Amino acid sequence: MTTQWEGHYLDGRTAARQRVAIRLMRSGLEIITEKGATAWWPYPGIRQTQGSYAGEEVRLERGAEIPEVLLVSDAAFLTALHRIAPELATRFHNPTRRWMRAKLTILAAIAVIGITTVLYFWGIPAMAGLVASRVPVSWEEQLGQSVIEQLAPPSAQCTDPVRIQPIKEIVTTLTNTLPNSPYTFRVMVVDNPAMNAFAAPGGYIVVFRGLLERTQTAEELAGVLAHELQHVVKRHATRMLIQHASTGLLFAALTGGGGDPAAIGLEGARTLGILRYSRRHEEAADAEGVQMLVAAGIDPKGMITFFETLAEEGKGMPEFLKYVSTHPSTADRITRLQSLAAQVEGNPVKLLPDYDWEDVHQICQATGTQLRP
Amino acid sequence: MIGVKCPKCALMQMSRPTCKSCGTALNGPAPHPTPTQAFTTPPPVSSPPPPAGPIYMTQEAPPYMTQEAPPYMAQGGPPSMVDDAPPHLAQGGTLYSELDGGQIHWLTFHGTGGSLFGIQIVNMFLTILTLGIYYFWGKTRVRSYLLSQTEFAGDRFAYHGTGKELLIGFLKAMVLFVPIIALYYAPQFVEVTEVVKIVTILFVYGMMAVLIPLAMVGARRYRMSRTSWRGIRFSFRGGGMDFVKLFAKCSFLNMITGGLYYPYYETRKHAFMVSHSYFGNQKFHFDGHGRDLFGSYMLAMLLALPTLGLYWFWFQAKKHRYFWDNTTIDYARFRSAVTGGALLRLWMGNILLLVVTLGLAWPWVVVRNAQFTARYLTLEGSVDLTAIQQQAQVASPTGEGLASFLDLDSGFDFG
Repeated sequence: MTTQWEGHYLDGRTAARQRVAIRLMRSGLEIITEKGATAWWPYPGIRQTQGSYAGEEVRLERGAEIPEVLLVSDAAFLTALHRIAPELATRFHNPTRRWMRAKLTILAAIAVIGITTVLYFWGIPAMAGLVASRVPVSWEEQLGQSVIEQLAPPSAQCTDPVRIQPIKEIVTTLTNTLPNSPYTFRVMVVDNPAMNAFAAPGGYIVVFRGLLERTQTAEELAGVLAHELQHVVKRHATRMLIQHASTGLLFAALTGGGGDPAAIGLEGARTLGILRYSRRHEEAADAEGVQMLVAAGIDPKGMITFFETLAEEGKGMPEFLKYVSTHPSTADRITRLQSLAAQVEGNPVKLLPDYDWEDVHQICQATGTQLRP
Repeated sequence: MIGVKCPKCALMQMSRPTCKSCGTALNGPAPHPTPTQAFTTPPPVSSPPPPAGPIYMTQEAPPYMTQEAPPYMAQGGPPSMVDDAPPHLAQGGTLYSELDGGQIHWLTFHGTGGSLFGIQIVNMFLTILTLGIYYFWGKTRVRSYLLSQTEFAGDRFAYHGTGKELLIGFLKAMVLFVPIIALYYAPQFVEVTEVVKIVTILFVYGMMAVLIPLAMVGARRYRMSRTSWRGIRFSFRGGGMDFVKLFAKCSFLNMITGGLYYPYYETRKHAFMVSHSYFGNQKFHFDGHGRDLFGSYMLAMLLALPTLGLYWFWFQAKKHRYFWDNTTIDYARFRSAVTGGALLRLWMGNILLLVVTLGLAWPWVVVRNAQFTARYLTLEGSVDLTAIQQQAQVASPTGEGLASFLDLDSGFDFG
């Protein structure tokens, strides 16, 4: 076995590099310059900073802040060192055990995939639910208020006091099934042709004129309202905020010092992940909404009919879009709702039997007119 | 901390018994044996001289294989026969001591995406396991790998920063930064008059206008001080407040000229960064001027729309070449041969890789970037390496921490 090696020595004072011979001994290295001067480096004072990758020169440093450096280009030097001084050499990389590092890396990869999966599918949603349930309702109301100021300012609201009445009545019928709710529910209609409705945290439900006009019966609107009320009660908006922040932290950890380039790609992965959370919330609101309708004595078929109207509107949407959408595909939702409605029994009574539902569609035409005396 | 400060004349210098300027005794023991004591001539009596001739290789264990240490170690340490002259002068040889003037010196990047990916995976694992604390050590490992895999004129760079330093820098930056953020958002939660609101916002913007350039300089100072080639540290010695002034002045001029000042702005910033950079005691010089880029910049502005912004790559390449071609050290000049087309191909490839793999390909992107830099950058001319003395400088990691907060890049790549 070779105990004498060639290398280069850097003194840490100038950038010149000198050729040296290195002798491996049991407790240290003897370094001999071309002129015959020697230096003695005991192993415990040496640290290896390079040479753990194939093709990389072995770099040994000795001394405090500005070290002296020994460079050996042949990686077999390390193998010889481990043979001669097996105990003291444990501080140096061992090329013959490089497979160990590969194995550990693979184990780490498996662990990362495992931990990420568990956190993503179970840990983060569970944690978000737990934290959200401890957020005071007054905070949610404040948040909701600022959302309403942005998306449904008073100037855009349809305030016809007569036609808003039946809508409020439906909300009351539904919320009567939640006797202990800490929320004050407020419903408002916005003069906007979009077919949309949303819930803001703290009990705010906003229905767009476009959606209201497409409901044929009070039951259909009740379905939409029940769905949105469930978003409020289940604190989905608050959970989304927490999930958004936690996935941010998780993905920051995943960049592991990578910096910007890694972040670009991971942001895409994160967005996909958050969209999935959103779709889970929609499914939950659909399912709980049906339960709510039945508990309030309202026929859930109205909800299904309305989703069929939605499906009609959204025809021609490519199937793959369901993976990049905040909502599940309408067809999937109808199928699920039908099976849910079939499971529950109830004796629905006609909602608002004496009211002409078509009239409620006019709610925004009176916007701006004051209360009639 | 590297080096010691003379109590009398306040000169920052390497640890040594007395101040190199005024001769005052410096406190504290030398952190390591001074290099003149590192080597001893072989003891004539107890130890045979090293074998003459070529370094021999033998399959048999030589007699001293069973020895713990050279014989003179058993007799109370190495003999005190010390060379007065530095070893490379004592041996009369100047091996590898000069970068030859007739040669072109190349950068080579040896790293592979696979190795970096392995480092990344382990970093991810440990970062999650330590609830994020390991992040700083992971970052250090990545930097260390990238520098260690970069070779210049036959020698690799080395990185000497530690995760602990980055963590401390981050914490210090947080102490500075969190009150400012809090102040920025405070008016939304506390009832105050409009005047107080405006004063607060102005104060916060003022602080940012100081902190951003300080962070840019601080990050560069830290990273350069932790980088070495052939055992000699790089350093950055530009004053933080000088850069704050330059930054404020240039930003103002850029604003009132509607962006026309931009090439001057970029060049002046770059000039500040380069001309205060050192390799050991050898200074880098920059002799570029913004007016040389003005024409290209105007052309880039004109062609921005017709080329859908793609011409910007050609301007970037031109700027890159101009910046390097005007950078010198000793009697050598850097040369860059980057072209707009090459830069465009690099970027397109990188974005495609990242988007398709949802970010998993980032190690390969980093390797592509490093190979790209190495492929086009050379140093032509001569540098007398024996004349270059170690002159490491103290650098706190706070600026680095601030920069990571503000998401700034100091643009430091190999000096």
